[in-house]
Amino acid sequence: MVVVGVYDTPMVNNAEEILPKYWYNIIPDLPKPLPPPRDPLGAEFSRIDLLRTILPKEVLRQQLTIERYIKIPDEVRERYLAIGRPTPLLRAKRLEEYLGTPAKIYFKYEGATPTGSHKINTALPQAYFAREEGIEHVVTETGAGQWGTATALAATMYGMKSTVFMVKVSYEQKPMRKSIMQLYGGEVYPSPTDLTEFGKKVKKENPNHPGSLGVAMSEAIEYALDHHLKYLVGSVLDVVILHQSVIGQETIAQLDELGEEPDVLIGCVGGGSNFGGFSFPFIGNGRGKKYIAVASAEIPKFSTGEYKYDFPDSAGLLPLVKMITMGNSYVPPPIYAGGLRYHGAAPSLSLLMKEGIVGWREYNENQIFEAAQMFMRTQGIVPAPESSHAIRAVIEEALEAKRANRKEVIVFNLSGHGLLDLPNYDSMMRRVTSNEQR
Amino acid sequence: MSRDKMLVVYMTLGYPDNERYLEFMEEAVKNGADILEIGIPPKYAKYDGPVIRKSYEKVAGKFDLWSFLPETRKVIGETKAVALTYLEDWASELDDFLYKLKGAGLDGVLFPDLLIDFVDDYRAYSSRVREKGLSNVIFTAPSVPDRMIMQVSRQSDLFLYYGVRPTTGIPLPITVSSLVTRVRNLVDNKLVVGFGLSDENDLRKALKAGADGAAIGTAFIQAIDNGGVKQAVDLVIKLRSILDEF
Ligand SMILES: Cc1ncc(COP(=O)(O)O)c(C=O)c1O
Repeated sequence: MVVVGVYDTPMVNNAEEILPKYWYNIIPDLPKPLPPPRDPLGAEFSRIDLLRTILPKEVLRQQLTIERYIKIPDEVRERYLAIGRPTPLLRAKRLEEYLGTPAKIYFKYEGATPTGSHKINTALPQAYFAREEGIEHVVTETGAGQWGTATALAATMYGMKSTVFMVKVSYEQKPMRKSIMQLYGGEVYPSPTDLTEFGKKVKKENPNHPGSLGVAMSEAIEYALDHHLKYLVGSVLDVVILHQSVIGQETIAQLDELGEEPDVLIGCVGGGSNFGGFSFPFIGNGRGKKYIAVASAEIPKFSTGEYKYDFPDSAGLLPLVKMITMGNSYVPPPIYAGGLRYHGAAPSLSLLMKEGIVGWREYNENQIFEAAQMFMRTQGIVPAPESSHAIRAVIEEALEAKRANRKEVIVFNLSGHGLLDLPNYDSMMRRVTSNEQR
Repeated sequence: MSRDKMLVVYMTLGYPDNERYLEFMEEAVKNGADILEIGIPPKYAKYDGPVIRKSYEKVAGKFDLWSFLPETRKVIGETKAVALTYLEDWASELDDFLYKLKGAGLDGVLFPDLLIDFVDDYRAYSSRVREKGLSNVIFTAPSVPDRMIMQVSRQSDLFLYYGVRPTTGIPLPITVSSLVTRVRNLVDNKLVVGFGLSDENDLRKALKAGADGAAIGTAFIQAIDNGGVKQAVDLVIKLRSILDEF
């Protein structure tokens, strides 16, 4: 029976079977070699060597030991189950009806984790590997606050301290994010700070700098180096997407159980981790026909970015990687979706886009606000503003299917809930309404 | 004593100076090197680690390439020698470059950037190498997809080079055995594994997993820096004996 509302498909009852035992790595299945990380010309120090200092050893080993499947340690698998994995795959039946589309719309609901997004999927293993190595304190950056929240919880779960550099605009826009990180046991600073040389430099150049993921990342890395801490990576690196592959693998198992074959897969992109984790298991296994990555029109990396070697962070402390990028000194405007305020996109995703396997869309604030509201009113879930970008693409795809009278199956990743992003929705509501009145 | 496994010895051309370079090459061959890899300093050693990068800086401008390169042949006898250099530096005058390499007594060439920056045209480039009477040694890495490893293995002549780390000379943590096993199952070529394999444990693991040989570079440069040619030659002897265990 299909009930109107949130849970159209039953909650997961065979969790043990749906949760994968291995993470999936797409690199051996890419159409072309992934260009390796490298040091810049005339480098006085090796950034590749630096990775050994800042990353937990096992995390770096997984980043470099390229196997198609890597076993998920039992201890991590248990934690995945404990935080409610597998997350539900739900059908957005009310949205379908509202749109009058013949397409079926399913979504993987990563907002159903305690921290509210997919980020916990990699925070747990990274924290676990750090702890196994005897580390007592980890450090990271956060944009929207989702990654910092996941890090704070994962660190505490494994008995470690955590320090989080939170992009200043987000810190100011979303004080509740700071609260939840602190409640979980994390220590949070608005970046740029005076705690690092790079933060001081950025502030000196622009005292009103709103902060950015790239800057906060540089601060976190510098802080890790200065204090001999380990740095947890929130996105972009292959190892993060590897861990996030639980999303896509679960979705495949859940669709198989329903007897559905997906046609279109959609997700939003900040650094690329939820999109990659969701779509790569499909792409690598030849499931699905069309893959759409969605970014923000205010940070138009897909339409204007270049595919080239660039630093993942603003300070250039990390090795150069080849990716679609707006340049590492680009300061993204302080938009409503902090998780998408990043200058680049993961190298593996960039390569798949360059090869034409993954397509893209970019939407602005008005477009995603409309989509988010439609979703809230039909499905009852408040999506994270980042995830609302995916929803906008889903709606357009479903309307396209309606025009063409195509009975396709659209599956998207709802990367997080937006209950702690209400101030952003509030201000969006005000801006959008005043635009309409004009 | 069996000698099934190949020892590929890398040295930067003219390192640490012309005389000691030639002495090392001569001794390396006498003490068990099967193939020599000669590093020609590039403009930007993008995919090399800090030790090899420094070695390039040190020798830059200390010799005339085309008059010094042939000196190597005089001291190494019949041993196969391949040039390691970036295609980026030569792509615009490739035929001339290959012709001169052949003339200088080299047997083959290895471009570390071929499958990275020239991947769409790698077949055309490797055909040109063969047309000029030289052998291809193609450099692959764990980031090269399965299908492509199988395809390029057919273009690689002396052996297929497999660098298990993303850069040379930095002891990044990896699992050598699974990296080697994956590729061993894909190709029939002689498989030579390199990049940070001077660690004896890693080396034995690679050989156990089916590698046909090892390419070592950074460790020889460090040995020369620390204890001169003698220490580097001692390392050749030691590596030879490990390879001969298999
Ligand atoms: C809910 C949510 N979705 C998406 C993103 C974008 O990051 P990624 O592209 O790595 O998934 C973020 C980042 O903070 C996020 O919080």
